[in-house]
Amino acid sequence: MALPSLTLLGQSLLSGLFIGALYGLLGLGLSLSWGMLRQINLAHFALAFLGAYLTYQLAGAGMDPLATLAVIVPCFFALGVLMHWLFARFSVSTFNSLLVSFGLTVIIEALIQWLWTADFRRMESAYGEARFRIGALYVALPELLTLAMAVALSFATWAALRYTYLGKAMRAIAEDAPIAAAFGINVRALSLLLSGLCAAFAGVAGLCLALSYTLAPGQIYAWLGVVFAAVMLGGLGNPLGPLVAGIVIGASEALTMAFTAPAWAPLVSFSLLIVVLLARPGRV
Amino acid sequence: MRQRALAGFAAAGLTLSAVPFFGLPAFYESFLYLVFHWIVLAVSWNIFSGYSGYFSFGHGAFFGAGMYTTATLATKADVPFLWTLPAAALVAALFGIALGAVAFRVRRLRGELFALLTLAVTFVLATIVLNTPIDGGPGLVLSAVPLPAIGPSPSSTFYLLGLALALATLWIAREVQRSKLGTGLFAIHDDEDVAEVLGVPTYRYKLAAFGLSCGLAGVAGGIQAMFISYVTVGETFSIAVPLYVVLMSVLGGSRHWFGPAVGAAGVTALLYAFTAGDYAVAGRAAVGLILILVILFLPEGIFGQAVRALERRRVSVAPAIDAAELPAPTAAPPAEGKTLLEARGLSKAFRGVQALAGVDLEVRRGEILGLVGPNGSGKSTLINVVSGHFRPDSGRILFEGRDLAALEAHRIARTGLARTYQIPRPFAHLSVLENVALPAMFGRDALPRAEAESEARRWLAFTGLAAKAAALPGELNLHQRKFLELARALASRPGLLLLDEVFSGLTHVEIDDAIRLIRAIRAQGATIVFVEHVIRAVMELTDRIVVLSYGRVIAEGDPRAVMREPDVVAAYLGKPHA
Amino acid sequence: MLEVERIRVSYGAAPAISEVSLRIGAGELACVVGPNGAGKTTLINAIAGLHRIEAGALKLDGRDLSHLPRHAFCGEGIAIVPEGRRLFAGMSVRENLELGSYRRAARARRAESLERVCEVFPILLERLEQPAGTLSGGQQQMLAIGRALMARPRLLLLDEPSLGLAPAVVLAVFNVIKEINAGGVAVLLVEQNVALALEIAARAYVLEEGRITAEGRPQELLAQPHIRRAYLG
Repeated sequence: MALPSLTLLGQSLLSGLFIGALYGLLGLGLSLSWGMLRQINLAHFALAFLGAYLTYQLAGAGMDPLATLAVIVPCFFALGVLMHWLFARFSVSTFNSLLVSFGLTVIIEALIQWLWTADFRRMESAYGEARFRIGALYVALPELLTLAMAVALSFATWAALRYTYLGKAMRAIAEDAPIAAAFGINVRALSLLLSGLCAAFAGVAGLCLALSYTLAPGQIYAWLGVVFAAVMLGGLGNPLGPLVAGIVIGASEALTMAFTAPAWAPLVSFSLLIVVLLARPGRV
Repeated sequence: MRQRALAGFAAAGLTLSAVPFFGLPAFYESFLYLVFHWIVLAVSWNIFSGYSGYFSFGHGAFFGAGMYTTATLATKADVPFLWTLPAAALVAALFGIALGAVAFRVRRLRGELFALLTLAVTFVLATIVLNTPIDGGPGLVLSAVPLPAIGPSPSSTFYLLGLALALATLWIAREVQRSKLGTGLFAIHDDEDVAEVLGVPTYRYKLAAFGLSCGLAGVAGGIQAMFISYVTVGETFSIAVPLYVVLMSVLGGSRHWFGPAVGAAGVTALLYAFTAGDYAVAGRAAVGLILILVILFLPEGIFGQAVRALERRRVSVAPAIDAAELPAPTAAPPAEGKTLLEARGLSKAFRGVQALAGVDLEVRRGEILGLVGPNGSGKSTLINVVSGHFRPDSGRILFEGRDLAALEAHRIARTGLARTYQIPRPFAHLSVLENVALPAMFGRDALPRAEAESEARRWLAFTGLAAKAAALPGELNLHQRKFLELARALASRPGLLLLDEVFSGLTHVEIDDAIRLIRAIRAQGATIVFVEHVIRAVMELTDRIVVLSYGRVIAEGDPRAVMREPDVVAAYLGKPHA
Repeated sequence: MLEVERIRVSYGAAPAISEVSLRIGAGELACVVGPNGAGKTTLINAIAGLHRIEAGALKLDGRDLSHLPRHAFCGEGIAIVPEGRRLFAGMSVRENLELGSYRRAARARRAESLERVCEVFPILLERLEQPAGTLSGGQQQMLAIGRALMARPRLLLLDEPSLGLAPAVVLAVFNVIKEINAGGVAVLLVEQNVALALEIAARAYVLEEGRITAEGRPQELLAQPHIRRAYLG
């Protein structure tokens, strides 16, 4: 086994960083809804892919990919509100939310396949081609954009939860919803708001997916395990958790790939997830 | 009953096996094989996950393990196909047991976390298989492996193999449901901690059911490997297996052995109809939608709802019990010394709060001892520690000379100690009768089911709940649920009965009822310790009381005298501002 | 000011409290005593909006509140110090207090309220940035009361404030309650520690098995055998 060169190592780590950021972005909405709303939204991944396909479609019609956010974010926000409303209306338990969202995932996947077929789709955009050079290393613009968005959204959420009154009210709801209500906090409205935001984050993640990756409906499940690992390792409900954990996982995967065969990479995250589940279960 | 069922299965088996000999087109045989295949997967999944409530999202891992075992043995070791099947079962079962042995030890790994763990395991296994010489990437081809000619054609052979496995799986599922293992699993489903305290060996039972479930999935995988003859990681470990088995079981009804079969047949037919009509994608969407609707509106599944109705009829048509015929006195061992239970220096703290601070207590044989004290004094904690719900931080509990602190929770039930819960915790999905029969099956006497149910009926008559034997606990009012708790505690014929606030929330009349009942229980020979706030009950029933305050015993003796002691009055009413 | 008229609250099928009526005038300190399981917590939670009232009316200054959504009760000037404190344990002392003044009328005066609360409870001032869950029992009780005060309530509800506290701490807490009431806030106190409750209350109610069985001035009630019998048999 030949040791990779420093450049190769550096490039690997860099790509690990970027993919880790995407894990983090994908995991942000999932972590928040699980940790704060007690709902495990498996459909988060399907939503992200739906967002990706929509970006692809709108970009194909001539819109600038980044501008598609203006359409996608509000639509997805509404979807998120609707989903939480549904869960609340039927008093769906945390466990059942896993099953119901499983069903939603399948429906969305089928919808995607119906609209766009199972053929691979690659979004062509000006962003896709741009590359930078930092020393001996190459950085693609889409990856940089992903990192920027992941960091921006994670930190913005963290700051909002920590420093704004509304954010504190949301944390109070997560701690003890009835008492929060007793002090005047509109639990219903804020929960719907949070759910909408989580779905909107999925939409943004979709944009990043479309920028960097080739899309296919079956790909939805490929991200499931690793993002769940990032969410749990980062601590449920912690906005910075998925980002940090995602980057750690991404870097570990990249190193694994550099030193052994690429196909071993998935083992890293899933094994980590198993270890975490066994060693620190509960609310992690 | 068993003979009839066996005959039924045999008849079905014979009839169905004759089908290939009637010249059915190969296409239909293959379709039916697929139905059998999914029946096996769904029913086997249900044996563990449906019955116990530990939903596994990893059935695909064990199915895949079986598939690759057969593929590997057949192609690389030239093992005859049929001989690979037991190997597939074994590999899958061992794999499941190994996973379970670790996962079930972690107490908080239940519900969604267990589901995620099993999902992760699937991915890990897939990656390992893909990257090692087991598969390596290109997949395994079995077209050169000779298929034994069991039927007139290859598709008939698969039909017959599938049929045989489906019948076997259904039979096993039926047997498990009706066995002690099944009852234990259903109890675990509703309230694992209470089940453990009532004597169900939860760890062992979960392992057994999981191993069985995985082994059957392994065999299904083995046969499937031959059927599709080209095994790849992507196809084998896809999301399809975990998704569909959950859907089929939930749709058909996961509390009955036949439910998943109904779901499997239905979903397979549905998907086929859509695929044939070129609407495969719509078919999958329909599957997802059905799953959602079933979870929201049909929690028991289609078949399950029907079964529940039948069950009620069976249980309520019961032999009438003469109300005067009381159960035999509780089996009290020869009186060796007056002290039945002794607690010495018991201490227990929870997150900084010292609930018990060195409690010394003695319970004498045949007495009714009252445990009283203001809110937060540690009474419930004491019961929880003595009955095995919590381990004490320090101190000893000697029951008939044996140290309880050293025993596993489910063994404490066998020693002749029973308790009720302050807020009743019946098994929500078991009927009243089944709730009461369970401790009789798992307690000291370990009765077979039929006798346990008779025993249960007697206790239900004793507590006035005979008419409600077929009902679910949710249909009872508070008074009845408290009496159900009592009947359940009595069913194991305990020598010592611990009652936690039996009287709270009851009306005047109901309290009189309960007092009478408890006197009758003592007349049977049981020793009773009860925690209570309702002072009237304490005064009328107890021989002796112990007063707790801030985790310590502050007084003990004759009820009326003790309640007049200044320390006790102060503990309850507070000291006026000096 | 507060009029509870023959309310009924149930858990599932059976009523926990029924036909319960009581009144509290502006600035009055009333207490509800009774044995465990009588329904005291249910009663106070209903007044705070935490439980649906099935029958009867809950009127504040003549307005019936029983049909308002949960989060509207605080806006009316009612604040609760729940049984077991129920602080937002993972959040800091400061954040707990800030959230106490969530309701609009209190929000504007948040800084002022915070100062006052820290005067009344100096211990909280020392530990403003600490997570609430790390405080001792007595300190948590102070924080819970402080949180309720931040809402600038007209009516303060306290559910068993003495629970789990050492006697000396209990005295301190009760002194604070007296002070708060002296400042013009009406107080409804549910308490197991009868002696102390009756000492500070102007009016008392006895709740047994979900119904009010006695009512009057503390001295009157103490003279009757009711209370002793309810608790001690």
